[in-house]
Amino acid sequence: MNKEAPLSIAERDFILNALREDVRLDGRAADELRPLKVTFGEEYGHVKVQLGRTSLVTRISAEVTKPHDDRPFDGLFTIAMELTAMGSPAWDNGRQGDLETYVTNVLDRVVRHSNALDTESLCIVKGVSCWSIRADVHITDYDGNLIDAACAGIMAGLQHFRRPDAVVKDGQVIVYGVDERVPVALNITHKPLAVTFHSFDEGKRVILDATRREEQAAEADVVFGLNNAGDVCFMSKFSGSPVDAMVFVNKTSVALDKVKEINAVIDKALQADLAKRAKTGRAEESRAENDR
Amino acid sequence: MVAPSATLSVLNRADGSASYQCSSTGSNILGSVNAPVELPGRRDALKPEDATIEVFVKPGTAPAGVGERYVEGILKTLLGRVILGREKGYPRRGVVITLAIIGGESVGRGDPYLILLPALLHTALLALLSASVPLSMTFSATVLAVDESGQIRREPSAEDAATAQSVHVLAFSSKGHLLLNESQGSFDFDTWEKVRQRASAICHGTQLVSADGDVAMAEDVDGRPLEGTLRETVEDQVYRDYNWKINAA
Repeated sequence: MNKEAPLSIAERDFILNALREDVRLDGRAADELRPLKVTFGEEYGHVKVQLGRTSLVTRISAEVTKPHDDRPFDGLFTIAMELTAMGSPAWDNGRQGDLETYVTNVLDRVVRHSNALDTESLCIVKGVSCWSIRADVHITDYDGNLIDAACAGIMAGLQHFRRPDAVVKDGQVIVYGVDERVPVALNITHKPLAVTFHSFDEGKRVILDATRREEQAAEADVVFGLNNAGDVCFMSKFSGSPVDAMVFVNKTSVALDKVKEINAVIDKALQADLAKRAKTGRAEESRAENDR
Repeated sequence: MVAPSATLSVLNRADGSASYQCSSTGSNILGSVNAPVELPGRRDALKPEDATIEVFVKPGTAPAGVGERYVEGILKTLLGRVILGREKGYPRRGVVITLAIIGGESVGRGDPYLILLPALLHTALLALLSASVPLSMTFSATVLAVDESGQIRREPSAEDAATAQSVHVLAFSSKGHLLLNESQGSFDFDTWEKVRQRASAICHGTQLVSADGDVAMAEDVDGRPLEGTLRETVEDQVYRDYNWKINAA
């Protein structure tokens, strides 16, 4: 199938006419996110993101491999996202659709190409061994705005993940287990996030964080990738009808607010999780310093 | 032995879904079922009077490989016997089962899937029940490892399974018939028979009397039979779903 059931004409008209009166189906304002919930699992780098009715699970994992020959100082970082029939009945298992290619490409650009994860810090021995970090995104429910949700999931996962400590001794690489040494956090250079807008009526109406139905009724989408400092690391107008240049100018500042908002949610969840771990986890008992 | 915990109908989009947490292996599996669905192409040409069952196993932190394809084959054969694919509305349609390992240790590349197989089977069963797919029976499964001294260990960890002499997965139908028998390693028939008895006790809690008249004491160690745990999960869900009706009456 590989295609969602199309909207009926009546439904499309309803969504469009409501938007012309500044009303969205779920009662949100045009620049309002759906409620975002970020929770962490038991293991490091296990994140569950719930954005409205879109939900996904991100898992970060690390293993030691050989770096690429042309980049001996760099570790590897891959983002793997496969859309399965779990997220939406319209997606086929084991078959790549257009949406999957598009979203993977955007995530790659926003997170990987903007060097959010410092790959040089993943090098263990030049040209011989390095860490390979893998981010797996499992979409469990799809209700629009996959890009923003997945991006938040990956960034939260990268900040939450701890890799085992590795030391080089006499030319030998020793990887210490999580029980032996305190695992190391990844080196995050900045926290970019994607913010997606959808446009209607030849770009006259622009809304943020569209649901699946709104996405289907939309004419075009615009994706921004920014970090907290307001550096734009990605901007795309992939397909659909043209959008006025002023939309880009105006919406960049809205996007910056939203990036700050999402990052705040992630930070809050991270702090809460760390506080919980400090109480029960091994971090406390394996600490070398004493309370004096 | 802590019983596994499961929740039904956790997802919005899928027709049926189940989240399953295996307490001993620590794996968390999310299963979804879409049925009956239109299949692309002519994949049903071989059996036009039956439903086509598709199973997809998605590992948590690695690309899917040979191990997943192998375990998909096992699941598909077993579920094909359980699902009534000739019921009205099912022939020439697909039953798409997706199982994602979203928590716990991942199976290494090339390692056998046996220790995860019961969890995958239970998740698939609960998701099918949640999607109201017609089934001829339910089942329960368990994995047992036999170490060098001949001791049988229930639901071994990955390390235990690696050092064990043999690892067995057995599934029993709700009527107590043996549905699936996957074994790995070297063992003799006596060992297998002991394993079968223990597995049957775990799944159904039946009192087994051995040849010399001794009653096996395994039930006390294993706690509640699995069949009952699964049944209770479904009962709880049905009770919650029909709460409006019960209260109204």
